[in-house]
Amino acid sequence: MAEGQGRVHPSQGERDHRQHHHGLEAGRRWLMIQFIQNLILGLLLGGVYALVAGGLTLIFGVMRVINIAHGAFLILAAFLTYTLWNGLGIDPLLASLVTTPVVGAIGWVTYKLMVAPIRTAPMASTVLLTFGLALVIEAALGTIWGNNSTSIRPGYADESFTVAGLFLPKAQVYGGLVAVLVLVTLGLVLTKTWLGRAIRAAAINPAGAELVGIKVAAVAALVFALGIAAAGAGGAIVGVLYPFVAGAHYQWIARLLAIVVLGGMGSLNGAILAAVMFGVAETLTAAYVSPSWATAVPYVIVFAVLLIRPQGLLGTRMREDAVPA
Amino acid sequence: MAIPATNRRRVTAVVTLSSLLVLGLAACGGGSEASSNTDKPIKIGASLPLTGEFSQPGKAAKEGYEVWQKMINESGGLHGRKVELVIKDDASNQNTIVADYNALISQDKVDLLLGTFSSLLNLPASAVAERNQMLYVEPAGASPKIFSRGFKYVFFSQQATADKQGEVFANWIAGLPEDQRPKTAAYPTIDDPFAVPTVEGIKAILEKAGVQTVYEQTYAIDTKNFDTIVNAMKAKAPDLVVHGAVFEDGVGMTRAMRKADFTPHWLYQTSTPSNGDQYANAVGIQNTEGVMYAVSHAPQANTPGNKEFVAKYKEMFGGLPPEDAADAFAAGQVLKAAVEAVGNVKDQAAMADWLRKNSVETILGTLKWNADGSPIGQFLIGQWQKGKVEFILPKESATTDNIIMGWKPGGAG
Repeated sequence: MAEGQGRVHPSQGERDHRQHHHGLEAGRRWLMIQFIQNLILGLLLGGVYALVAGGLTLIFGVMRVINIAHGAFLILAAFLTYTLWNGLGIDPLLASLVTTPVVGAIGWVTYKLMVAPIRTAPMASTVLLTFGLALVIEAALGTIWGNNSTSIRPGYADESFTVAGLFLPKAQVYGGLVAVLVLVTLGLVLTKTWLGRAIRAAAINPAGAELVGIKVAAVAALVFALGIAAAGAGGAIVGVLYPFVAGAHYQWIARLLAIVVLGGMGSLNGAILAAVMFGVAETLTAAYVSPSWATAVPYVIVFAVLLIRPQGLLGTRMREDAVPA
Repeated sequence: MAIPATNRRRVTAVVTLSSLLVLGLAACGGGSEASSNTDKPIKIGASLPLTGEFSQPGKAAKEGYEVWQKMINESGGLHGRKVELVIKDDASNQNTIVADYNALISQDKVDLLLGTFSSLLNLPASAVAERNQMLYVEPAGASPKIFSRGFKYVFFSQQATADKQGEVFANWIAGLPEDQRPKTAAYPTIDDPFAVPTVEGIKAILEKAGVQTVYEQTYAIDTKNFDTIVNAMKAKAPDLVVHGAVFEDGVGMTRAMRKADFTPHWLYQTSTPSNGDQYANAVGIQNTEGVMYAVSHAPQANTPGNKEFVAKYKEMFGGLPPEDAADAFAAGQVLKAAVEAVGNVKDQAAMADWLRKNSVETILGTLKWNADGSPIGQFLIGQWQKGKVEFILPKESATTDNIIMGWKPGGAG
C-alpha cells in the first residue's frame, strides 16, 4: 500500500502554473499549439484513409465496380501482417512489401474468378457480389485467425516524436510515409507509364480503348489487383494503428465509400483530398465539438458537398455514352 | 315461445365460439401432454454475437454455455433429460437478434432460452422473450434500462447492474486519505448502454467525495482514433481516468495515452482489462501495471463449483476461462436451479416467481434478485499486478493485501 503515498499532484501544479503565471498571450499560444496538434493528428489519419480509399476509387474509376469487399481485403492484409510480425518477427510496416503483392495477387484471382463474369452486368449486381465476398472473407478470417481482437505492437507502437511541444506518434508517421510512398508510386504509374495511359483510356472509353489495341479485360484485372494491393499496404498500417477483428471491415467500408464519393468517384486525387478532409474533420470535431460527433460529422460534410457538387470534389460527370468493353 | 331472429343469430354465434374455444383448449392440453416426453432432450435456445463487432464476448459465452451443457449432461441431465443447445449467430446485429429469438421460439420450438451478450443486444432480445412469456436469464446486459421496463421474465446472472458496477472501486477511492485521493478525474466513455451508467455511477460517488470532474465526453461506438480525445484529456491533466470501455476502444485509448505520454496517476477501465492475455498483448504487458477494473468472476475464487468449471473449461478449450464464459456458465446454473425448483420446463412464470423469491449458488457466488430481475450484489475489483490479475476488493474476496497505488505503465514484470 506504500507506493505513491504523499504524492504531489503535478496536474494541479501544472494547471495553477498555466492559469496564474501565463498571461493572455500565452493562453492564446497554447490554444494555437493545441490546434496545430489536432490538425497534425488529423492529417496523419487522413493519410491512412487516402491510401485505402485510393485503391477503391481506382477500381471504381476503371470498372464502375463498387467493391464492398475492400474493407475485408484491408482486414485480411492486417491479419497477414500480424502473422508475419508475430510468427517471423518481421516489422509490420516492412511486411507491407510482402502483404501488398500477396493481397494484390489474391485480388487478381478474385477478379478473374468472380468479378469478371459479371463486370458488364448492372452495377447493383457487382455491389451484391462484392458484399457477399466481404462476408465470405470475414468468415474465412474468423476461421483462420479466430474472432478474437488482434493487435500488432512493434517496439515503436507506444512512442512519439516530440517536435516543438507537439507529439507525433511514430506509428502514424511511419504509416503516413508508407501511404505517401504507395500513393506517389500509384500516381506515377497512372500518369507516366504506358500501363497508366491504358488504364485511363480504358476508364474513359472502354470501347475506344479496345479499338486502339488495349486489352481492356486484362487492364481491368490489373487495376483490380492494384486497387486491392493498395488495401494490402493499408492493412499493414491499419493493423499497427488499431486493434482489429474479422468483423471490423464494416466500419472501414462505410468510411471509405464516403471518402470516395466525396472525392468524386474514380478520381484518385479527389480521394486523397477527401481522405485528408475526412481525417481532419474527424479530429477537429472530436477536439472542438464532441467525440460523440466525430464519426458523424464527416458524413455531414459529404452530404453538404454533394448538394453543391453532385459529382464530388474532383469528380467529373459520368459519361453516359461509354459502354463497358 | 319463438326467439327473435337477431337473438337466434347471437345465440348461434356464442355457441359456435364456445365450441371452438373448448376445442382449442383441448388441442392445447393434448399438445402439452404429448411434448412432455421425457426421452427427448430439453432444447435450450440462444443467439450470440459469434461474428461482427461483439464476436469476442460472443465466442467466450458460447464456450461457457457448452461447458455448462457438457457438465450437466455428464451428471445425468436437467430434470432427468439431456440438454441440447441451439445456438444461432446474430452477427452483433440488433435486428438479427430479434429474428433469431423469434425463430428459436416459433420454428426451433426450444423449451428454454438463455440470453445473449452485451446490453445492446439483450435489450431487444429480452423483449422477444417477454412477449412470449419465456424465462430469459442473460449472462451480460447490465444496463439499468433492461430492468426498467416492468418485465417479469428477465433475470441477470451477474452481481450488479451497470450503474453499481464500479461502486466498490469508487467507494474505496473516496475513502482514501486525502493526500492519496485523486483531486481531479476524467471520464471518457463509449456510447454504450452498459458503459455509460457504469461511469455515471462512479462519477456520482467521486464527485460527492470532492473529486472534481475535469473532462467528460461520450464517443461514438465506431470510434477508432483516440489521439484527439487523449490530447484533450492530457490538457486537463486529471489525476484519475475512469474509462467506460468495451474492448477495442479500451485498448485504443490506452495505446493513445502511451503515445501521447499521458500517464494519469490512476487508471480504471470497465470491461477491457478483464480480457486476460488478450488485453496484456494488446496494450503491452508492461503497461498493465496497476490498472483497475470491476469483474464478476475470478478463476481462483472459492465459490461452489468454480474449480470444476475451470477444470472442465481447460479440458475443452485450454487455458483459463474468460469472464464472459464464466458469466454464461452462471446463467446456465440459474436456469437449472429454476427448472429444478419448479419441476418442469413448461411453467416459466413459476420459474420467474421462484427466482424472485430465492437465491442461487453459482460460480460467481450467491446471486439474488429484485422484483424487476436486476441482481442484488457486489462486483469484485481486479488489479493488474506484475502481468497478472489480483483481486483487491472487497476485502473478503481479495486474493492479495497488496494494492498498487496507481497506474505504473512500463512497470510490469
